[in-house]
Amino acid sequence: MNYSDPRLQNLLAGEYVLGTLRGAARRRCERLMMESEGLASEVGTWEGRFAAWALRLKPVDPPAYLEWRLMGQVRKESQFRGERLRNTFWRTWAVAATVVLAVVIVTQKITPTAEPKAAEFALMSDATGKPLWLISVHPEANRVDMKVVTPNPVPEGKSYELWMIPDGGKPVPLGLMNETGVASETVPPELLARLAGAKALAISLEPRGGSPTGQPTGPVLWVAPLVTS
Amino acid sequence: MPASPAETLDRNRELTDLLHACAQGRQTAFQALYRQVSPQLFAVLVRILKRRDLAEDALQDALLSVWRNAGSYSADKGAPMTWLVSICRYRALDMLRREKREVSLDTEREDLDEDGQQPTDGQVVTDAVNVSKAEERKLDECMGKLNHGQQQSIRLAYVEGCTHEEIASRVGSPVGTVKSWVRRGLESLKRCLEAA
Repeated sequence: MNYSDPRLQNLLAGEYVLGTLRGAARRRCERLMMESEGLASEVGTWEGRFAAWALRLKPVDPPAYLEWRLMGQVRKESQFRGERLRNTFWRTWAVAATVVLAVVIVTQKITPTAEPKAAEFALMSDATGKPLWLISVHPEANRVDMKVVTPNPVPEGKSYELWMIPDGGKPVPLGLMNETGVASETVPPELLARLAGAKALAISLEPRGGSPTGQPTGPVLWVAPLVTS
Repeated sequence: MPASPAETLDRNRELTDLLHACAQGRQTAFQALYRQVSPQLFAVLVRILKRRDLAEDALQDALLSVWRNAGSYSADKGAPMTWLVSICRYRALDMLRREKREVSLDTEREDLDEDGQQPTDGQVVTDAVNVSKAEERKLDECMGKLNHGQQQSIRLAYVEGCTHEEIASRVGSPVGTVKSWVRRGLESLKRCLEAA
């Protein structure tokens, strides 16, 4: 096929944008676009023409946890750029911490207690794997404990706020993070019931005293999955 | 209430500012960008992938690549929203090639308007409109000049991400006919759009 023929080029570009060009032919077209300015600009033209249809679709809100997941990844990538050197050390630490967490969970599980409901844990670590807080949720005691593993000073005039990320729906505030030792937050039973279906906890940077709106206003700094014991 | 050309320009400028800030590694800009564009992009992805879980993965992958490559955006790639839509659509098409598509395609349909037409509650959408109203009208007008089969094939391919074979089975025509509808349709469309 002679791809310099403008008619063919136009068709190729159009079918590429529509998506009817598939498989090896699609890959070939991508390769050709790298060297043919004409083809690349035809593709751009078709993209612009059809975009109107994409923008006419009724918007659909993605679930709230997607934003958190994505911001967590973005943060991780940014930190990796700067902190690759310290990585290995903290990776080792993280593995050790995970083992400890697993042992804690298993021990709790096999120790017969009067507590009927299972505790849940989340280990908040920074992108290099350095553990910052171990957060445990105790439904039987209507309590969330936040244990500082590595102290992490709060910037001047700011607070770290803890959020639960329900499976769908908006983040729910759980309280401010402590800077040292262990702190406990009392959480009403109905909130704890929702926490049972939550997938993750997250910490955001907020003005001192916490978010004024009831929703995160600053960047999401850490996200961790909730592990059931 | 359609966006005026001035509003469209403002919107494009705002998105360009955010992309520029992303290219400099500013995470808050990325979060703001996400909040502005994700509902429209998610709609596009759900429509093509037919499954929310796949659409979530596609949105995450696509936007992560936007974060990594924000610096490669430039005006010759089209309006910012066009660029973002293209990244998402191509990501979805790549996923379709790998995932075997479910036969029941209509699980999510109740959230969506019919046939990509203006949603009844038409609010947010108009914000996202980045194609000038005149160009959009021209597209509708030129589409109207195609025969029904050509119109349907081109729409199903772009909006639903259908292959020639899928279009053929949906409209009940031979694959060869669909292929020629797409080609002829594209040619007529180009001719009509480029006519003064």
